Amino acid sequence: MTSAERLRADGHPIGEVYLGRDEIAARVAELGRELSDAYAGRMPVLVAPLKSSAVFLADLSRAFGVDHELDVIELAPYGSGRTGGGVRLLKDLDRPLAGRDVLLVEDVVDTGLTLGFLTRCFAERGPASLAAVTLLDRPYRRLVDEIPLRHVGFTVPDELFAGYGLGLDERWRALPDLHVVVADELPAAIDAA
Amino acid sequence: MRETPTETVRFQAYRGSEPPRFVNGAERECARILDWYGIPWEYEPRSFVLERDAQGRVTSAFTPDFYLPEQDLYIEVTVMKQSLVTRKNRKLREVRRLYPDVKVKLFYRRDIERLAQRYRLRIAS
Repeated sequence: MTSAERLRADGHPIGEVYLGRDEIAARVAELGRELSDAYAGRMPVLVAPLKSSAVFLADLSRAFGVDHELDVIELAPYGSGRTGGGVRLLKDLDRPLAGRDVLLVEDVVDTGLTLGFLTRCFAERGPASLAAVTLLDRPYRRLVDEIPLRHVGFTVPDELFAGYGLGLDERWRALPDLHVVVADELPAAIDAA
Repeated sequence: MRETPTETVRFQAYRGSEPPRFVNGAERECARILDWYGIPWEYEPRSFVLERDAQGRVTSAFTPDFYLPEQDLYIEVTVMKQSLVTRKNRKLREVRRLYPDVKVKLFYRRDIERLAQRYRLRIAS
């Protein structure tokens, strides 16, 4: 029995495999080649927000044929902290970005709000270039268009996903394939009275 | 029925002059998400006239819920089931026909629920 089957048997809302590990690996290898061409002769720094991007970052880094640095940031989750607070960095970068070629590594881009925030934040630090790569792009609800999204792994439908680093409420990140989450079985999100 | 504007003081990115009075929880959640990311927003700042009678009186208009000035984008939030939004979709088509330079996005109940699920359950966006 696979880990997904075990979770399903225990009542977790893990649906079918949307992208298998082999398909993901093949696309990540292609992205690595794309990026190697784009950054030939340079020494970029890959910056990923924790935690959902961690698995993608690890695989992409090894598929990237150009020497590069890695750094991670952590954003305050939505709704956390004191009343009236907004998005902010809980963990900032370890090194300055001035004059560097920066590649933001995202797991999913949806509204573009997070990537838009990071773009504004890092653009102020004077990088030589600023671009982004995402494993999954869900462009249907895009609110912020001024984002430097240059490389996309997969354009995906409007579903919730888990696995390959993506989780909900810290669960299911370790599933090796990307699964659809059965959203109807999740708690109600809003009072839509 | 509109909500009383008790939350106004908490909205940092709100750019309107009058306190917003949301009609439902989906609008309120949308405002919270925009505010969290520091995206300036206004609430119902403009009505688009769609039809007038022979005397020039407005007989049909459309007032999107949100306007994002930095994106020059209007957002209409509806909590109706997707199958029941035909009338709203028709109005939206009219806005696009009469005001071709205006960008409007319709967020259905499902969209807001998904966004709220993602953000509350800490899925990256």
